[in-house]
Amino acid sequence: MKPGHRARKSRGRLSPLTTITLVVLAVALSAVAGGFAYFLPAAATALQETGQAVAVASPSPTSILFSPSNSPSPLAVSQGAFTVLLLGSDDDSKFSSDQVLTQSMILVRVNPATKEVTMLSIPRDLYVHLSTGGSGKIDGAYSYGAAGAAIATVEQDFGVHVDDYIWVGLLGLIKVIDAIGGIDIVTSNPVMDDYYPSDIYGNSPYDYQRVAVLAGPQHLDGIHAMEYVRSRHSDLQSDYGRSKRQQQVLQAIRVKAKQLHPSDVPALATAIGGELKTSIGLDRVARLVPLAASFDNPDAIRQVLLLPPYARSGAPDGSLTPNWGLILPLVHQYFP
Amino acid sequence: MISKFLLAVGLAILMAVTSVSSYVYLGSRQSNVVAPPQKPTAATPRAQAFTLPGTIYLAQSGALYSFSAGRFHQLTPEVGWTQPALYPDGSHLLAVKRSGFFSDVFVLTPYGGVTAQLTNNAASPRNAWDTGANAWSFYPRLSADQRTLWMSYDGPKYAGAGYFDVDMAVWAVPVGAPTRNGRAWTTANNYTGGDMQPVPVPSGVIYTKYTYDENGNRTGQLWFTNRAGSAGRALTSTGASCAQPALSPDGGSVAMICTYQKQVSYLTIASWNGSSLGALQTVISDQLVAQPIWAPDGSGIAYLAPGGPAAPFQLWFLPKNAYAPPPPSPVPTPSPSPGGPHNGPVPTPTPSPAPVAPVVKPIQVTTNLGFDATSPLAWLG
Repeated sequence: MKPGHRARKSRGRLSPLTTITLVVLAVALSAVAGGFAYFLPAAATALQETGQAVAVASPSPTSILFSPSNSPSPLAVSQGAFTVLLLGSDDDSKFSSDQVLTQSMILVRVNPATKEVTMLSIPRDLYVHLSTGGSGKIDGAYSYGAAGAAIATVEQDFGVHVDDYIWVGLLGLIKVIDAIGGIDIVTSNPVMDDYYPSDIYGNSPYDYQRVAVLAGPQHLDGIHAMEYVRSRHSDLQSDYGRSKRQQQVLQAIRVKAKQLHPSDVPALATAIGGELKTSIGLDRVARLVPLAASFDNPDAIRQVLLLPPYARSGAPDGSLTPNWGLILPLVHQYFP
Repeated sequence: MISKFLLAVGLAILMAVTSVSSYVYLGSRQSNVVAPPQKPTAATPRAQAFTLPGTIYLAQSGALYSFSAGRFHQLTPEVGWTQPALYPDGSHLLAVKRSGFFSDVFVLTPYGGVTAQLTNNAASPRNAWDTGANAWSFYPRLSADQRTLWMSYDGPKYAGAGYFDVDMAVWAVPVGAPTRNGRAWTTANNYTGGDMQPVPVPSGVIYTKYTYDENGNRTGQLWFTNRAGSAGRALTSTGASCAQPALSPDGGSVAMICTYQKQVSYLTIASWNGSSLGALQTVISDQLVAQPIWAPDGSGIAYLAPGGPAAPFQLWFLPKNAYAPPPPSPVPTPSPSPGGPHNGPVPTPTPSPAPVAPVVKPIQVTTNLGFDATSPLAWLG
């Protein structure tokens, strides 16, 4: 064999050490690539739905831009207490997608240091000064100016600072509960409704259906959990009773979410895609998940409802008149 | 020495296989908590599961199942069947078939064949436009003589279309007769959901009445009445928030759940003398217990409870020793020693240590299923 031929042949081959190194590198890279592909849709959804910038109309004529990066959130600064406004909307075809009412408004204060949570349900029919001008039911604030208007209305009327918001549509709540495999709940009484809106899966958003969620401990899927939290015709306390049920379901979701595995995240993200918006940035979501899991004591979760005499019926259009003289001290006690 | 070309091809194949495997592996690692329940006929009870006596009838996903000798048999298709109840002679089953707008009570053979429809709760065609013109029948039971159907029923709707209050009352209807020939035994509290789960007893009927307590909280109470239309009498307090009564085979005890107005559910038992309950005894306080039922042979109580935190409901069994431990065996007393009368001081018996009763825990009978926890169990001995 000629010397030149041997050299060419040697250049076309690799040593065993180099070969092994390349194989290991290829396996590691491709495994990471597979994982990346698995979590990519979830990451895309998370990036899309979290960290929403919100224009909050301040009580002064100027507006400030409210976003996770610009707002000195107590959580971001010192792991101190922070306040989140939970908004739930009927987002069926009766409404245009950006002009929905918020049927559920819950102000949540989380104190990581003491592991205490306070949930204040704001009656959707409360007659208040809206941040966008004029007065009306508080559930209309979102329809006039999206989350920013809802936050500003709550801040100006209740005298609290809202750090973040989470908005979820009807279908979103159903999908979330189905995606986590349902929730366990104890229904205190049968929830019966002969005129429940058939606007999720019905032919017309103005149709009705019958609902009978029977009493006792049970495992609810998304649609039945929605019926449980949304029906108000059969409750003497109407929206107050409904608020109580909404808080029960939120707690049940939290308990179930603690059982999830990271590999469940893509399916969950797919389920809630487009049905959830939040100002909480992805980085803080990552920090909040273990925080939420550390809240083990159900007695440390305080539920506050603005029952009479905090609010009374008799205001225009069936709305409720707030008794600010009672409400504000209560709010300042739990949302200092 | 390996050729570069061969190595490149090999690495390409290896990377493709590894990346796909990684993706598939992660997908397969999804937790069981989000997995839908299995069908009872597909899932085998765990190897250590023991056999319960007789046959238990349960509901899952709109189908009725029987469970005997460790095996499930599907009795009906998944079309809204729930709340099985036995004929007192064990010859047939009652069950509710529920659709979107109404529910009816049917008679079935023990193998699931429908033999009769006892109620007809669908709105008439001329009222079909009004959802409120339909009615619900739930929790059917038969009297001991098998002539009277007891149930919770929300008809007739006197208030007309658009009336929002829907409250169930306990009705007694002659078997085979139209519901209008029956009679409401109870008067439900408005806007509570009403009166549910009647249990006929020789002296009257025990049922769950839903009400508002003095603080405006909705809660359940066991009530008893012995005459149609009478006011009835509360057996438990509003604070205990008890429901889902089940009478023991000897008629001397009632099992129930009590939630104390929280997101908990304790298995509770109490003695029953035909008109009132004894003190409530909490038997299980660390599970979300639903639908307790006594074993026909008195060997324990079966019930439904989640198989894990926030999980679907499984079948559990609590042996009798857990709530009625056998009395301790008597301490042996010194017997006179043979050989005539003893004139000296009586020897003091050495006290033996008190026997430690073994802790009897509930037994999980099924896994990975998802029983309807609002559907009572029926247990044929």
